[in-house]
Amino acid sequence: MFGYIYVNRKELSEEDRKDYQSYYCGLCQVLKKSSGMKAQMLLNYDMTFLIILLSGLYELENKEEEFFCPLHPGKKKIAYINEATQYASDMNVVLSYHNLLDDWQDEKNYPKHVMSLMLKKDYARISRKYPRQVEAVEAYMRKLNMLENKRETNLDAIAGLTGEMLGEIFAWKDDIWSEELHCLGFYMGKFIYLMDAYEDLEKDMRKKEYNPFESMVKNDPRDFDTLSKLILTSMMSECSKSFERLPILQHASIIRNILYSGVWSKYEYIQAKKKKRRKSQ
Amino acid sequence: MRNPYEVLGVSPGATDEEIKKAYRKLSRQYHPDANVNSPHPEIAEEKFKEVQQAYTQIMKEKQQGYAGGYQNGSAQSGPYGAYGSYGGFGGFGDFTGQSEQRSQQNDPVNMQAAMNYIRNGYYKEALHALNDIPMGQRSARWYFFSAVANQGAGNNVVAQEHAQQAVAMEPSNMEYRQFLQNLQFGGTWYQNMGSSYQRPVSGLSRMCAIWCGFMMFLNCCCFRPF
Repeated sequence: MFGYIYVNRKELSEEDRKDYQSYYCGLCQVLKKSSGMKAQMLLNYDMTFLIILLSGLYELENKEEEFFCPLHPGKKKIAYINEATQYASDMNVVLSYHNLLDDWQDEKNYPKHVMSLMLKKDYARISRKYPRQVEAVEAYMRKLNMLENKRETNLDAIAGLTGEMLGEIFAWKDDIWSEELHCLGFYMGKFIYLMDAYEDLEKDMRKKEYNPFESMVKNDPRDFDTLSKLILTSMMSECSKSFERLPILQHASIIRNILYSGVWSKYEYIQAKKKKRRKSQ
Repeated sequence: MRNPYEVLGVSPGATDEEIKKAYRKLSRQYHPDANVNSPHPEIAEEKFKEVQQAYTQIMKEKQQGYAGGYQNGSAQSGPYGAYGSYGGFGGFGDFTGQSEQRSQQNDPVNMQAAMNYIRNGYYKEALHALNDIPMGQRSARWYFFSAVANQGAGNNVVAQEHAQQAVAMEPSNMEYRQFLQNLQFGGTWYQNMGSSYQRPVSGLSRMCAIWCGFMMFLNCCCFRPF
Protein backbone atom coordinates (compact mmCIF):
# COMPACT_ATOMS: atom_id res chain seq x y z
CA MET A 1 0.00 0.00 0.00
CA PHE A 2 3.01 2.24 -0.22
CA GLY A 3 4.04 4.36 -3.15
CA TYR A 4 1.08 6.54 -3.98
CA ILE A 5 1.69 9.76 -2.11
CA TYR A 6 4.32 11.50 -4.18
CA VAL A 7 5.16 15.12 -4.70
CA ASN A 8 5.18 16.75 -8.13
CA ARG A 9 8.81 17.80 -8.09
CA LYS A 10 8.73 19.93 -11.22
CA GLU A 11 6.21 22.18 -9.55
CA LEU A 12 8.03 22.70 -6.26
CA SER A 13 9.93 25.89 -5.59
CA GLU A 14 13.63 25.60 -4.85
CA GLU A 15 13.03 26.18 -1.16
CA ASP A 16 10.16 23.68 -0.93
CA ARG A 17 12.24 21.08 -2.70
CA LYS A 18 14.99 21.52 -0.13
CA ASP A 19 12.51 21.23 2.76
CA TYR A 20 10.84 18.18 1.29
CA GLN A 21 14.15 16.43 0.76
CA SER A 22 15.31 17.30 4.28
CA TYR A 23 12.19 15.85 5.89
CA TYR A 24 12.68 12.74 3.81
CA CYS A 25 16.31 12.47 4.90
CA GLY A 26 15.18 13.09 8.49
CA LEU A 27 12.85 10.12 8.30
CA CYS A 28 15.65 7.97 6.93
CA GLN A 29 17.98 9.02 9.76
CA VAL A 30 15.40 8.40 12.47
CA LEU A 31 14.50 4.99 11.04
CA LYS A 32 18.15 4.06 11.30
CA LYS A 33 18.56 5.43 14.80
CA SER A 34 15.48 3.82 16.31
CA SER A 35 15.17 0.56 14.42
CA GLY A 36 18.53 0.04 12.75
CA MET A 37 19.84 -0.18 9.19
CA LYS A 38 17.25 -2.79 8.26
CA ALA A 39 14.44 -0.32 8.89
CA GLN A 40 16.17 2.29 6.77
CA MET A 41 15.28 0.11 3.82
CA LEU A 42 11.59 0.70 4.50
CA LEU A 43 11.92 4.39 3.83
CA ASN A 44 9.18 5.84 1.64
CA TYR A 45 7.57 9.05 0.54
CA ASP A 46 4.10 8.34 1.92
CA MET A 47 5.29 8.79 5.47
CA THR A 48 7.17 11.93 4.48
CA PHE A 49 3.78 13.42 3.69
CA LEU A 50 2.57 12.66 7.20
CA ILE A 51 5.64 14.32 8.72
CA ILE A 52 5.17 17.48 6.69
CA LEU A 53 1.44 17.59 7.46
CA LEU A 54 1.96 17.21 11.20
CA SER A 55 4.94 19.60 11.24
CA GLY A 56 2.82 22.22 9.50
CA LEU A 57 -0.17 21.75 11.76
CA TYR A 58 1.66 21.67 15.07
CA GLU A 59 4.39 24.09 13.92
CA LEU A 60 7.06 21.83 15.33
CA GLU A 61 10.60 22.98 15.76
CA ASN A 62 13.11 21.14 13.60
CA LYS A 63 16.49 19.95 14.65
CA GLU A 64 18.76 20.28 11.62
CA GLU A 65 21.40 17.62 11.31
CA GLU A 66 24.19 17.52 8.78
CA PHE A 67 25.25 14.10 7.62
CA PHE A 68 26.81 12.18 4.75
CA CYS A 69 24.54 9.89 2.82
CA PRO A 70 26.19 6.76 1.42
CA LEU A 71 24.05 7.14 -1.68
CA HIS A 72 25.31 10.64 -2.35
CA PRO A 73 28.95 10.51 -1.20
CA GLY A 74 30.92 13.72 -1.19
CA LYS A 75 27.91 15.89 -0.54
CA LYS A 76 26.73 16.99 2.85
CA LYS A 77 23.00 16.52 3.35
CA ILE A 78 20.67 18.18 5.82
CA ALA A 79 18.03 16.25 7.72
CA TYR A 80 15.08 17.89 9.48
CA ILE A 81 14.08 15.97 12.56
CA ASN A 82 11.22 16.70 14.95
CA GLU A 83 8.68 14.91 17.13
CA ALA A 84 6.58 13.97 14.11
CA THR A 85 9.56 12.33 12.41
CA GLN A 86 9.86 9.87 15.28
CA TYR A 87 6.13 9.16 15.15
CA ALA A 88 6.09 8.65 11.38
CA SER A 89 9.15 6.42 11.63
CA ASP A 90 7.36 4.19 14.15
CA MET A 91 4.22 4.07 12.02
CA ASN A 92 6.36 3.26 9.01
CA VAL A 93 7.75 0.21 10.79
CA VAL A 94 4.26 -0.97 11.83
CA LEU A 95 2.82 -0.69 8.32
CA SER A 96 5.88 -2.25 6.69
CA TYR A 97 5.82 -5.13 9.12
CA HIS A 98 2.27 -6.04 8.11
CA ASN A 99 3.04 -5.47 4.46
CA LEU A 100 5.91 -7.93 4.66
CA LEU A 101 3.86 -10.48 6.60
CA ASP A 102 1.06 -10.19 4.09
CA ASP A 103 3.39 -10.69 1.13
CA TRP A 104 4.93 -13.66 2.87
CA GLN A 105 1.52 -15.24 3.31
CA ASP A 106 0.30 -14.42 -0.20
CA GLU A 107 3.39 -15.02 -2.29
CA LYS A 108 5.54 -17.15 -0.02
CA ASN A 109 8.27 -14.61 -0.50
CA TYR A 110 11.03 -15.78 1.84
CA PRO A 111 13.23 -12.69 1.99
CA LYS A 112 10.20 -10.68 3.02
CA HIS A 113 9.50 -13.23 5.70
CA VAL A 114 13.03 -12.90 7.04
CA MET A 115 12.70 -9.13 6.96
CA SER A 116 9.46 -9.29 8.95
CA LEU A 117 11.14 -11.48 11.57
CA MET A 118 13.89 -8.91 11.88
CA LEU A 119 11.32 -6.25 12.62
CA LYS A 120 9.42 -8.22 15.23
CA LYS A 121 11.19 -6.71 18.20
CA ASP A 122 10.72 -3.16 16.98
CA TYR A 123 7.10 -3.93 16.29
CA ALA A 124 6.57 -5.10 19.87
CA ARG A 125 8.22 -1.95 21.22
CA ILE A 126 6.00 0.28 19.09
CA SER A 127 2.87 -1.67 20.06
CA ARG A 128 3.47 -0.72 23.67
CA LYS A 129 4.07 2.89 22.75
CA TYR A 130 1.11 3.35 20.41
CA PRO A 131 -1.49 0.68 21.29
CA ARG A 132 -4.40 2.50 19.63
CA GLN A 133 -2.68 2.81 16.27
CA VAL A 134 -1.22 -0.69 16.26
CA GLU A 135 -4.57 -2.20 17.25
CA ALA A 136 -6.17 -0.33 14.34
CA VAL A 137 -3.66 -1.77 11.89
CA GLU A 138 -4.15 -5.29 13.22
CA ALA A 139 -7.94 -5.04 13.09
CA TYR A 140 -7.58 -3.71 9.58
CA MET A 141 -5.58 -6.71 8.37
CA ARG A 142 -8.22 -9.06 9.77
CA LYS A 143 -11.19 -7.22 8.29
CA LEU A 144 -9.53 -6.73 4.92
CA ASN A 145 -8.88 -10.44 4.58
CA MET A 146 -12.48 -11.17 5.44
CA LEU A 147 -14.00 -8.76 2.94
CA GLU A 148 -11.57 -9.69 0.17
CA ASN A 149 -12.41 -13.34 0.64
CA LYS A 150 -16.08 -12.41 0.39
CA ARG A 151 -15.25 -10.58 -2.86
CA GLU A 152 -16.87 -7.42 -1.60
CA THR A 153 -18.19 -5.24 -4.43
CA ASN A 154 -19.13 -2.17 -2.36
CA LEU A 155 -16.20 0.19 -2.93
CA ASP A 156 -16.97 2.30 0.12
CA ALA A 157 -17.01 -0.75 2.38
CA ILE A 158 -13.75 -2.26 1.19
CA ALA A 159 -11.80 0.97 0.71
CA GLY A 160 -13.22 2.34 3.95
CA LEU A 161 -11.15 -0.22 5.86
CA THR A 162 -7.89 1.28 4.66
CA GLY A 163 -9.45 4.66 5.32
CA GLU A 164 -10.29 3.83 8.94
CA MET A 165 -6.82 2.48 9.53
CA LEU A 166 -4.99 5.44 8.03
CA GLY A 167 -7.34 7.78 9.84
CA GLU A 168 -6.23 6.29 13.16
CA ILE A 169 -2.59 6.77 12.17
CA PHE A 170 -3.07 10.35 11.02
CA ALA A 171 -4.83 11.24 14.27
CA TRP A 172 -1.53 11.53 16.08
CA LYS A 173 -2.57 12.95 19.44
CA ASP A 174 -5.91 12.99 21.16
CA ASP A 175 -6.58 16.68 20.82
CA ILE A 176 -8.73 19.21 18.97
CA TRP A 177 -7.24 18.25 15.59
CA SER A 178 -7.58 14.49 15.88
CA GLU A 179 -11.03 14.40 14.31
CA GLU A 180 -10.01 16.44 11.28
CA LEU A 181 -6.74 14.55 10.84
CA HIS A 182 -8.70 11.31 11.02
CA CYS A 183 -10.99 12.59 8.28
CA LEU A 184 -8.06 13.59 6.08
CA GLY A 185 -6.39 10.22 6.58
CA PHE A 186 -9.67 8.39 6.01
CA TYR A 187 -10.17 9.73 2.50
CA MET A 188 -6.49 9.43 1.67
CA GLY A 189 -6.62 5.79 2.75
CA LYS A 190 -9.65 5.16 0.53
CA PHE A 191 -7.81 6.80 -2.33
CA ILE A 192 -4.70 4.66 -1.78
CA TYR A 193 -6.67 1.41 -1.64
CA LEU A 194 -8.63 2.20 -4.80
CA MET A 195 -5.55 3.42 -6.64
CA ASP A 196 -3.82 0.18 -5.77
CA ALA A 197 -6.84 -1.79 -7.03
CA TYR A 198 -6.96 0.31 -10.19
CA GLU A 199 -3.32 -0.41 -10.87
CA ASP A 200 -3.74 -4.15 -10.35
CA LEU A 201 -7.05 -4.52 -12.21
CA GLU A 202 -5.77 -6.10 -15.42
CA LYS A 203 -3.38 -8.39 -13.61
CA ASP A 204 -6.08 -9.51 -11.16
CA MET A 205 -8.59 -10.19 -13.92
CA ARG A 206 -6.03 -12.22 -15.82
CA LYS A 207 -5.23 -14.26 -12.75
CA LYS A 208 -8.90 -14.41 -11.76
CA GLU A 209 -8.12 -12.82 -8.44
CA TYR A 210 -10.34 -10.50 -6.46
CA ASN A 211 -10.43 -6.86 -7.46
CA PRO A 212 -13.06 -4.41 -6.16
CA PHE A 213 -13.38 -2.74 -9.58
CA GLU A 214 -14.11 -6.00 -11.36
CA SER A 215 -17.89 -5.82 -11.34
CA MET A 216 -17.80 -2.18 -12.38
CA VAL A 217 -15.60 -2.78 -15.38
CA LYS A 218 -17.72 -5.77 -16.41
CA ASN A 219 -21.00 -3.91 -16.12
CA ASP A 220 -19.86 -0.85 -17.96
CA PRO A 221 -16.56 -1.32 -19.78
CA ARG A 222 -16.96 1.77 -21.96
CA ASP A 223 -17.44 4.22 -19.12
CA PHE A 224 -15.08 2.55 -16.71
CA ASP A 225 -12.22 4.97 -17.19
CA THR A 226 -14.45 7.98 -16.60
CA LEU A 227 -16.21 6.43 -13.62
CA SER A 228 -13.08 5.24 -11.88
CA LYS A 229 -11.43 8.64 -12.34
CA LEU A 230 -14.51 10.30 -10.85
CA ILE A 231 -14.41 8.04 -7.84
CA LEU A 232 -10.71 8.59 -7.23
CA THR A 233 -11.21 12.33 -7.64
CA SER A 234 -14.04 12.29 -5.15
CA MET A 235 -11.73 10.73 -2.55
CA MET A 236 -9.02 13.32 -3.04
CA SER A 237 -11.57 16.09 -3.10
CA GLU A 238 -12.86 15.15 0.36
CA CYS A 239 -9.30 14.68 1.59
CA SER A 240 -8.26 18.12 0.33
CA LYS A 241 -11.31 19.82 1.76
CA SER A 242 -10.33 18.41 5.10
CA PHE A 243 -6.82 19.82 4.69
CA GLU A 244 -8.18 23.25 3.77
CA ARG A 245 -10.16 23.28 7.02
CA LEU A 246 -6.98 22.91 9.06
CA PRO A 247 -5.06 26.07 10.04
CA ILE A 248 -1.87 25.05 8.26
CA LEU A 249 0.33 27.84 6.97
CA GLN A 250 3.79 26.28 7.17
CA HIS A 251 4.60 24.00 4.25
CA ALA A 252 1.09 24.55 2.85
CA SER A 253 2.52 24.85 -0.67
CA ILE A 254 4.25 21.46 -0.42
CA ILE A 255 1.13 19.81 0.98
CA ARG A 256 -1.09 21.34 -1.72
CA ASN A 257 1.35 20.20 -4.38
CA ILE A 258 0.99 16.64 -3.08
CA LEU A 259 -2.79 16.69 -2.59
CA TYR A 260 -3.75 18.38 -5.84
CA SER A 261 -1.08 17.00 -8.13
CA GLY A 262 1.54 14.65 -6.70
CA VAL A 263 -0.95 11.94 -5.69
CA TRP A 264 -1.80 11.51 -9.39
CA SER A 265 1.78 10.55 -10.33
CA LYS A 266 1.03 6.87 -10.29
CA TYR A 267 -2.25 7.35 -12.16
CA GLU A 268 -0.53 9.31 -14.93
CA TYR A 269 2.17 6.69 -15.05
CA ILE A 270 -0.41 3.92 -15.50
CA GLN A 271 -2.19 5.90 -18.22
CA ALA A 272 1.07 6.50 -20.06
CA LYS A 273 1.89 2.82 -19.88
CA LYS A 274 -1.54 1.87 -21.23
CA LYS A 275 -1.19 4.31 -24.11
CA LYS A 276 2.21 2.98 -25.01
CA ARG A 277 0.92 -0.55 -25.04
CA ARG A 278 -2.04 0.38 -27.21
CA LYS A 279 0.31 2.03 -29.70
CA SER A 280 2.59 -0.93 -29.92
CA GLN A 281 -0.29 -3.30 -30.55
CA MET B 1 -21.85 33.04 21.11
CA ARG B 2 -20.20 36.14 19.67
CA ASN B 3 -19.84 36.61 15.95
CA PRO B 4 -16.92 34.30 15.05
CA TYR B 5 -15.39 36.87 12.72
CA GLU B 6 -15.31 39.37 15.56
CA VAL B 7 -13.65 36.82 17.81
CA LEU B 8 -10.84 36.37 15.30
CA GLY B 9 -10.77 40.06 14.43
CA VAL B 10 -11.19 39.55 10.68
CA SER B 11 -13.78 40.79 8.21
CA PRO B 12 -16.37 38.36 6.83
CA GLY B 13 -14.71 38.76 3.44
CA ALA B 14 -11.31 37.62 4.74
CA THR B 15 -9.39 34.99 2.77
CA ASP B 16 -8.60 31.55 4.19
CA GLU B 17 -5.02 32.63 4.61
CA GLU B 18 -5.97 35.69 6.65
CA ILE B 19 -8.29 33.66 8.86
CA LYS B 20 -5.64 31.03 9.49
CA LYS B 21 -3.06 33.70 10.32
CA ALA B 22 -5.43 35.43 12.74
CA TYR B 23 -6.22 32.10 14.35
CA ARG B 24 -2.55 31.24 14.75
CA LYS B 25 -1.76 34.58 16.33
CA LEU B 26 -4.62 34.47 18.84
CA SER B 27 -4.25 30.82 19.77
CA ARG B 28 -0.58 31.41 20.53
CA GLN B 29 -1.49 34.44 22.63
CA TYR B 30 -4.14 32.65 24.69
CA HIS B 31 -2.55 29.23 24.79
CA PRO B 32 -2.73 27.82 28.34
CA ASP B 33 1.01 27.14 28.29
CA ALA B 34 1.72 30.79 27.60
CA ASN B 35 -0.52 31.95 30.44
CA VAL B 36 0.56 29.82 33.37
CA ASN B 37 1.95 32.84 35.20
CA SER B 38 -0.72 35.33 34.24
CA PRO B 39 -2.99 36.64 37.04
CA HIS B 40 -6.10 35.11 35.42
CA PRO B 41 -5.19 31.95 33.55
CA GLU B 42 -8.86 30.93 33.40
CA ILE B 43 -9.73 34.00 31.33
CA ALA B 44 -7.04 33.10 28.82
CA GLU B 45 -8.31 29.57 28.66
CA GLU B 46 -11.84 30.77 28.06
CA LYS B 47 -10.51 32.98 25.24
CA PHE B 48 -8.51 30.12 23.82
CA LYS B 49 -11.62 27.96 23.56
CA GLU B 50 -13.60 30.78 22.02
CA VAL B 51 -10.94 31.33 19.34
CA GLN B 52 -10.90 27.62 18.62
CA GLN B 53 -14.65 27.44 18.20
CA ALA B 54 -14.79 30.57 16.07
CA TYR B 55 -12.12 29.23 13.74
CA THR B 56 -13.82 25.86 13.28
CA GLN B 57 -17.18 27.48 12.68
CA ILE B 58 -15.84 29.90 10.07
CA MET B 59 -13.99 27.23 8.10
CA LYS B 60 -17.05 25.02 7.99
CA GLU B 61 -19.33 27.81 6.90
CA LYS B 62 -16.87 28.95 4.25
CA GLN B 63 -16.66 25.52 2.70
CA GLN B 64 -20.42 25.21 2.65
CA GLY B 65 -20.42 28.39 0.62
CA TYR B 66 -18.33 27.11 -2.25
CA ALA B 67 -19.10 23.44 -2.37
CA GLY B 68 -21.48 21.04 -0.77
CA GLY B 69 -21.10 17.81 1.05
CA TYR B 70 -19.27 19.08 4.05
CA GLN B 71 -19.22 18.64 7.72
CA ASN B 72 -22.10 19.52 9.90
CA GLY B 73 -21.48 21.08 13.23
CA SER B 74 -19.45 18.50 15.03
CA ALA B 75 -20.63 19.60 18.44
CA GLN B 76 -23.25 16.91 18.55
CA SER B 77 -22.11 14.67 15.78
CA GLY B 78 -21.82 10.97 16.30
CA PRO B 79 -18.68 8.96 15.88
CA TYR B 80 -18.85 9.29 12.11
CA GLY B 81 -19.56 12.97 12.02
CA ALA B 82 -16.02 13.63 10.99
CA TYR B 83 -16.33 12.42 7.44
CA GLY B 84 -17.77 15.55 6.03
CA SER B 85 -21.46 15.51 5.68
CA TYR B 86 -24.33 17.28 4.20
CA GLY B 87 -24.31 20.93 5.02
CA GLY B 88 -24.69 22.56 1.64
CA PHE B 89 -27.51 24.95 2.17
CA GLY B 90 -28.11 25.30 5.82
CA GLY B 91 -28.10 21.68 6.77
CA PHE B 92 -30.56 18.89 6.89
CA GLY B 93 -32.70 20.57 9.50
CA ASP B 94 -33.67 23.36 7.14
CA PHE B 95 -34.44 21.46 4.06
CA THR B 96 -36.91 19.19 5.77
CA GLY B 97 -38.91 22.24 6.70
CA GLN B 98 -41.06 22.38 3.62
CA SER B 99 -41.37 18.76 2.71
CA GLU B 100 -41.88 17.70 6.27
CA GLN B 101 -45.51 18.63 6.66
CA ARG B 102 -46.58 17.02 3.47
CA SER B 103 -44.81 13.74 3.84
CA GLN B 104 -44.05 13.16 7.45
CA GLN B 105 -47.38 11.55 8.30
CA ASN B 106 -46.90 9.16 5.42
CA ASP B 107 -43.33 8.29 6.33
CA PRO B 108 -42.79 4.90 7.85
CA VAL B 109 -41.45 5.04 11.40
CA ASN B 110 -38.02 4.04 10.18
CA MET B 111 -37.84 7.00 7.82
CA GLN B 112 -38.65 9.37 10.64
CA ALA B 113 -36.04 7.76 12.82
CA ALA B 114 -33.47 8.05 10.04
CA MET B 115 -34.22 11.74 9.66
CA ASN B 116 -33.71 12.35 13.35
CA TYR B 117 -30.46 10.45 13.35
CA ILE B 118 -29.18 12.43 10.37
CA ARG B 119 -30.09 15.73 11.98
CA ASN B 120 -28.05 14.84 15.01
CA GLY B 121 -25.10 13.52 13.07
CA TYR B 122 -25.62 9.81 13.81
CA TYR B 123 -25.16 8.63 10.26
CA LYS B 124 -24.41 5.02 10.96
CA GLU B 125 -27.61 4.65 12.98
CA ALA B 126 -29.50 6.43 10.21
CA LEU B 127 -28.21 3.87 7.73
CA HIS B 128 -29.39 1.03 9.97
CA ALA B 129 -32.87 2.48 10.14
CA LEU B 130 -32.96 3.02 6.38
CA ASN B 131 -31.73 -0.45 5.56
CA ASP B 132 -34.59 -1.93 7.58
CA ILE B 133 -36.99 -0.63 4.96
CA PRO B 134 -37.59 -3.34 2.37
CA MET B 135 -36.43 -2.84 -1.22
CA GLY B 136 -39.95 -2.58 -2.57
CA GLN B 137 -40.76 0.40 -0.36
CA ARG B 138 -37.75 2.51 -1.25
CA SER B 139 -38.95 5.79 -2.68
CA ALA B 140 -36.98 8.70 -4.14
CA ARG B 141 -37.09 10.16 -0.66
CA TRP B 142 -35.52 7.01 0.71
CA TYR B 143 -32.65 7.31 -1.77
CA PHE B 144 -32.20 10.94 -0.86
CA PHE B 145 -31.99 10.19 2.88
CA SER B 146 -29.65 7.34 2.15
CA ALA B 147 -27.40 9.62 0.06
CA VAL B 148 -27.23 12.16 2.90
CA ALA B 149 -26.52 9.53 5.54
CA ASN B 150 -23.92 7.76 3.40
CA GLN B 151 -22.08 10.99 2.69
CA GLY B 152 -22.01 11.71 6.40
CA ALA B 153 -20.70 8.25 7.16
CA GLY B 154 -17.86 8.62 4.68
CA ASN B 155 -19.40 6.45 1.95
CA ASN B 156 -19.03 8.98 -0.81
CA VAL B 157 -19.37 6.49 -3.68
CA VAL B 158 -22.73 5.12 -2.54
CA ALA B 159 -23.85 8.66 -1.69
CA GLN B 160 -23.39 9.73 -5.32
CA GLU B 161 -25.22 6.69 -6.65
CA HIS B 162 -28.18 7.16 -4.37
CA ALA B 163 -28.40 10.89 -5.00
CA GLN B 164 -28.50 10.12 -8.72
CA GLN B 165 -31.17 7.52 -8.13
CA ALA B 166 -33.29 9.99 -6.14
CA VAL B 167 -33.08 12.54 -8.95
CA ALA B 168 -33.88 9.94 -11.58
CA MET B 169 -36.99 8.82 -9.68
CA GLU B 170 -38.26 12.32 -9.00
CA PRO B 171 -36.66 14.71 -11.50
CA SER B 172 -38.79 17.67 -10.46
CA ASN B 173 -37.55 17.71 -6.87
CA MET B 174 -35.12 20.59 -6.51
CA GLU B 175 -33.80 19.51 -3.12
CA TYR B 176 -32.59 16.22 -4.52
CA ARG B 177 -31.09 17.94 -7.52
CA GLN B 178 -29.26 20.48 -5.45
CA PHE B 179 -27.83 17.87 -3.14
CA LEU B 180 -26.51 15.90 -6.10
CA GLN B 181 -25.04 19.03 -7.61
CA ASN B 182 -23.31 19.86 -4.36
CA LEU B 183 -21.75 16.43 -4.23
CA GLN B 184 -20.53 16.73 -7.79
CA PHE B 185 -19.26 20.24 -7.27
CA GLY B 186 -16.64 18.96 -4.84
CA GLY B 187 -14.89 17.26 -7.75
CA THR B 188 -14.98 20.39 -9.91
CA TRP B 189 -13.58 22.48 -7.09
CA TYR B 190 -10.78 19.97 -6.57
CA GLN B 191 -9.90 19.90 -10.24
CA ASN B 192 -9.76 23.68 -10.35
CA MET B 193 -7.38 23.69 -7.42
CA GLY B 194 -5.13 21.24 -9.27
CA SER B 195 -5.31 22.92 -12.66
CA SER B 196 -2.33 25.18 -12.01
CA TYR B 197 0.04 22.23 -11.75
CA GLN B 198 1.61 20.47 -14.69
CA ARG B 199 0.95 16.77 -14.96
CA PRO B 200 3.06 14.86 -12.49
CA VAL B 201 5.16 12.23 -14.16
CA SER B 202 8.71 12.77 -13.09
CA GLY B 203 7.95 11.75 -9.51
CA LEU B 204 8.48 8.09 -10.22
CA SER B 205 11.83 8.40 -11.92
CA ARG B 206 13.23 10.00 -8.78
CA MET B 207 12.26 7.22 -6.42
CA CYS B 208 14.81 6.77 -3.75
CA ALA B 209 17.46 4.30 -4.73
CA ILE B 210 17.44 2.45 -1.41
CA TRP B 211 13.78 1.59 -1.48
CA CYS B 212 13.72 0.81 -5.16
CA GLY B 213 16.81 -1.36 -5.08
CA PHE B 214 15.67 -3.14 -1.98
CA MET B 215 12.25 -4.01 -3.37
CA MET B 216 13.88 -5.24 -6.56
CA PHE B 217 16.12 -7.41 -4.48
CA LEU B 218 13.18 -8.86 -2.56
CA ASN B 219 11.17 -9.50 -5.68
CA CYS B 220 14.06 -11.12 -7.52
CA CYS B 221 14.42 -13.51 -4.68
CA CYS B 222 10.92 -14.73 -5.40
CA PHE B 223 12.34 -17.10 -7.95
CA ARG B 224 12.82 -19.91 -5.60
CA PRO B 225 14.70 -22.99 -6.70
CA PHE B 226 11.62 -25.20 -6.74
